[in-house]
Amino acid sequence: MTMKGNHPTLILFGSFFSSGLRAKRTRVFILLAMVPVLLMLAARVMESAGTVSAGDVAGFFSHFMLSLYFQLLIPVLALFFGTSIVNEELDNKTLVYLTTVPVPRRAVLLGKYLAAILLASLLVASGFLLCFLAASFTRLGDPAAWEELGLFLGTSLLALFCYSALFSALGAFMKKSILLGLFFVFGWESVVQYFPGVTQKFTIVHWVKSLLPVPPGQNSFLIFQLQPSPPLQSVLTLLVAGALFLYIAVFIFERKEYILSDNA
Amino acid sequence: MTPVLKAEKLSKWYGNILGISDIHLEIRSGITGLLGPNGAGKSTFLKIAAGQLKPKLGALTIFGEPVYGNPRLFRRIGFCPEHDSAYAEMSGRGFILLLARLHGFTGAEAAAKAEKALGTVGLLDSQERAIKGYSFGMRQRLRLASSILHEPELLMLDEPLRGVDPLWRIRIMQLINEIVLIHQGKIFAKGDIHRIRGLIDSHPHQVSIRSPRPRPLAARLIGNEFISGVEFAADGRGLTVRTNQRDHFFTHLMGLLAEGGMDIEEITSPDDNLQAVFDYLIGK
Repeated sequence: MTMKGNHPTLILFGSFFSSGLRAKRTRVFILLAMVPVLLMLAARVMESAGTVSAGDVAGFFSHFMLSLYFQLLIPVLALFFGTSIVNEELDNKTLVYLTTVPVPRRAVLLGKYLAAILLASLLVASGFLLCFLAASFTRLGDPAAWEELGLFLGTSLLALFCYSALFSALGAFMKKSILLGLFFVFGWESVVQYFPGVTQKFTIVHWVKSLLPVPPGQNSFLIFQLQPSPPLQSVLTLLVAGALFLYIAVFIFERKEYILSDNA
Repeated sequence: MTPVLKAEKLSKWYGNILGISDIHLEIRSGITGLLGPNGAGKSTFLKIAAGQLKPKLGALTIFGEPVYGNPRLFRRIGFCPEHDSAYAEMSGRGFILLLARLHGFTGAEAAAKAEKALGTVGLLDSQERAIKGYSFGMRQRLRLASSILHEPELLMLDEPLRGVDPLWRIRIMQLINEIVLIHQGKIFAKGDIHRIRGLIDSHPHQVSIRSPRPRPLAARLIGNEFISGVEFAADGRGLTVRTNQRDHFFTHLMGLLAEGGMDIEEITSPDDNLQAVFDYLIGK
């Protein structure tokens, strides 16, 4: 037997990424990712019809769309993709195939994590790009607009990295992790981010929002009771937290005994 | 000779439920059937042997090494699980190819191994189809392919014949005749494949045949010495045949099919497994 070839993590990444592209769930998420694009196009149509002003459309993007992406779409996609890394294997009883090959469990989790995060990133980035083009097509020649897009996409990837790692750890730890994940996204994250003092720093969304530009206007969702953290600190926090969550996910997955059948 | 598999004081429980208790066992080369009544702990034992469960007490070693948390050992072990589980979106070939790559084979080697394994279980024609379109029997054969593709020294099969049509059962029995086997059934039996196969072949069998015209078929079967009884299905679209000589019966049936005029939709043999042997031996 020749022991050459790619690393098992990369083999699993390639295989689960390509099967993920064909999965029914991905098609549902494509539709979900296109909802903001449709909303943005609708705003543009209303602007053309004179119902709303150009300033309102720009405000719509910076207020509503950013909120939609960073507080809803990204955490929800990360939740479903992250928890499914292990939970899907348990629900479909397919984990046995990946744990009876000469591959360390950490390679299995990391390969599937990479596939999940790339799928989620493509969904978010494509929707975000279309949304941005619809919102900013009058200033596409302006380099600042593209810098802004780069910032949004970079922040999206960091947010996906951190949220997906957290939810993959949750999925590795417990079978019905979606409910707890939903509570985290819509309970903890949504409420605690507005708490005064340092409490809001115990949310991921605080560090994500700290990277986004604060648009003019007092009604922005980016107005904090505490000032946003410095960008470099936010980037490092998201990277370290993501890596820590991923380490915890691997730690649990390597040690936990998964029982696929109720038959003793 | 060093045992292939050795269990010492092996115990496993799930909360308050006892799976197995204080098992001492040595399995050497050859073919071994693992049988016992429901709840005896066969599944638990096999899952521990396949590294899926961790023993609470005692130890289980294969080739002298512990199994749990030792993935390297699976270069030498093949495991065919009992669950009807599969990556539905993958093609049969994609699934086997993935496992071959994970076993460390390069692209070309993996392709050759996948083709050989799929050919062995008769799935080459349907290898490009998504697994979700496979029948139960095809998925069972795919699981078998997944366990033999790397030509393991030890093959562990959990209910490998369940859901497979009678003709493929015979083929699979021939196949496992070549390999060391732990065969999960319902009674403990240790011996060579001829003994297990002999038991399976000689105990009374029931074969169900679905056909829109069962009466002409019954007329062609009744009177043969290897047929001990025929019963028609209540819906009038099938019959159940009892035979003591399964191989003779199937040979005869294939002859009838080759002659033509027999419209058969499905053949199943629900008691062609070690549970039936167990029931037969204990006089159920």
